[in-house]
Amino acid sequence: MLEIKCPYCGKRSQNEFAYGGDATVKRPNLGEEVSTKDWDDFVYYRDNPRGKHTEYWHHVSGCRQWFKASRDTATHEIFNTSSLEEEI
Amino acid sequence: MSNSNTNSSALINDHQIGSFGNYHNKEKSELLTVKELTNLSIYQIAKFKSSNANVDSVIINGLNLPKKYPDVSYNNDTRILWNGPDICMVVSSDLSIKEKLSPINDDDFAVTDISHSRAIIEISGLHAIDVLKKGTPLNLNNSEFTKNNCANSSYNGISFMLDFIDDQPLTFRLFCLRSFGGSFYHSITDSALEYGFIGE
Repeated sequence: MLEIKCPYCGKRSQNEFAYGGDATVKRPNLGEEVSTKDWDDFVYYRDNPRGKHTEYWHHVSGCRQWFKASRDTATHEIFNTSSLEEEI
Repeated sequence: MSNSNTNSSALINDHQIGSFGNYHNKEKSELLTVKELTNLSIYQIAKFKSSNANVDSVIINGLNLPKKYPDVSYNNDTRILWNGPDICMVVSSDLSIKEKLSPINDDDFAVTDISHSRAIIEISGLHAIDVLKKGTPLNLNNSEFTKNNCANSSYNGISFMLDFIDDQPLTFRLFCLRSFGGSFYHSITDSALEYGFIGE
């Protein structure tokens, strides 16, 4: 079982969390002309990296806050977590 | 309009009075006690993201809002549980708690009556902590979680809030969403059968 350090509650079991996707994807800016390809890339296409990856997680059974985690997708080692406002 | 407390039982079809499980040849003091609490008002206080208000400015019944996990502010009839950053849950047997919340500025804070949205179980006795350990991944060891601490977690997959009321005797209040109350109650009582419990 993984232990994930919630920035607000400390170390908790993975059972309490939900994965929230790739945290490196940037939404196209509002009010700007956006090509179909840019929307496709934003909505559908994701990299599938092996190694260090920055992700969103949700402490769904805890404080219900979203945060960022840096995780190795091969070993599942979690290097760091931070609130959404902080750089990870 | 109904009272703003949990007077209408969430466990009316589940909670039973009597002795259950491995209670034979045991003293009452050795058994667990499981009861439903129905006399509490519950309010959530959440500061708006856009607000710059100081949380310290809010005082309810003489209590400040707790600011970090796993703090609880408490007096004889009211407990304020940390529920998340700038989010707290006020649990009170004080019938006038609603009036005491009214001075809170609603431009800065959302105050929501959630009294009817929770099932509340109180479990006490020597083995109360063992019952909890069977279902929750929380670290309940003394060094991590002590009297007057609270935490959100899950019990057999059901999200719940745990409030450590007392250590003499061990007493915990468990809050879960009302619609999960029956499943949650049976999860807790199934775990308690091994030790024997009295439903009150």
